[in-house]
Amino acid sequence: MSSKHKHAVPASEIEIKVKALESLLIEKGLVDAQALDELIDIYEHRVGPQNGAKVVARAWCDPDFRERLLDNATAAIGELGFEGRQGEDMVALENTPEIHNMVVCTLCSCYPWPVLGLPPVWYKSAPYRARAVSEPRSVLEEFGVKVADDVEIRVWDSTAEVRYLVIPMRPEGTDNMNESELANLVTRDSMIGTGLALAPGETQ
Amino acid sequence: MKGAHDLGGKSGLGPISPEHDEPVFHHEWEKRAFAITVACGFLGQWNLDIARFARERMPDPEYLASSYYEKWIYGLGLLLVENGVLTEDEINQRMDEMTAHENQ
Amino acid sequence: MSILRADKVWPTLRKGGSARMVDKGKARFKVGDSIVAKQFNHSGHIRLPEYVQGCQGIIAADHGMFIFPDRHAERVKEAQRLYSVRFEAAEVWNDLSRRDAVYVDLFESYMNAR
Repeated sequence: MSSKHKHAVPASEIEIKVKALESLLIEKGLVDAQALDELIDIYEHRVGPQNGAKVVARAWCDPDFRERLLDNATAAIGELGFEGRQGEDMVALENTPEIHNMVVCTLCSCYPWPVLGLPPVWYKSAPYRARAVSEPRSVLEEFGVKVADDVEIRVWDSTAEVRYLVIPMRPEGTDNMNESELANLVTRDSMIGTGLALAPGETQ
Repeated sequence: MKGAHDLGGKSGLGPISPEHDEPVFHHEWEKRAFAITVACGFLGQWNLDIARFARERMPDPEYLASSYYEKWIYGLGLLLVENGVLTEDEINQRMDEMTAHENQ
Repeated sequence: MSILRADKVWPTLRKGGSARMVDKGKARFKVGDSIVAKQFNHSGHIRLPEYVQGCQGIIAADHGMFIFPDRHAERVKEAQRLYSVRFEAAEVWNDLSRRDAVYVDLFESYMNAR
């Protein structure tokens, strides 16, 4: 419901509360209205999973970068210019034919903002936070991902300030693709571990 | 603190239902809620752990029924009042004014 | 009170605010050690999920020193060592047919040696 429709649909209590807080804070000079617009613009348009996709594609193409990423993810991700709030201390988790990693925050909704942006609703939802740790295989099936019985699933619960980025496996048939073509195959969910990277020609 | 926020392993919460092509924000108020919460964090009146604890103090049934940004705004309201940045009365009064304005 | 101005938003976000502290002091646990997560029932903030309380785990990594959130939520800035701890799904969910694992980041005071 946007304010444009206020006469058609009555504003909800939460809308009223947010507006009341914002107007009081601006009136008292405690928040800068332009800073609010800038914050929204950054996370709507500038910071998102396209950042993480570049990190993954670089790791697929450059073995030295991959090694640096697995050794010190914060520094390696910083090489691509992605750093800061909610990604101050990063760890990269590499999927292999034997191990599938997936990330959750059971206590709140911790998420690596500089590489993935703000989390989707399902990541913050009670069902995902509850079930990712206790029944990862059935959760993955709900995302259309079937992990073979002989693959170990490692679920990472972001209980502290360390933030995790999953490096999905590079899809088959991508040997001739360059880094930016590869980045298009890296989905947000593949970097949380609830998805796989796309095959060439596959769309989300 | 034990509470609804400690969700790992809890049962009976249903399917996950991921949304295809989900927007970053679903409503205009969510954008504003996000931005004022982040901006107020820089007032220096509390830290991130105090902010997390404020959200955890939301009563259990409300916590489970609320969306992410509803929890943020619950926490922000608590922090602003507890730290003397705003008073409960002025928030309520402003909400009443806004409601009256909406209903005109 | 400091006010976040529009021109400072991007540099401020880029800078972030790491909770990492100077790494000093002796680590109580080393990688491979067996631990048991303690059981807590207090009214404050804690980053030890209930589902691993009382469970046995193995230290998988030493992350170094971080601000201890439980005290930080009470406005006290203390450093404490943080570890990545591996718990077997079979142990946590009491189901021997499971072969997956959960990794949880736990502070030193959340655990006893086993």
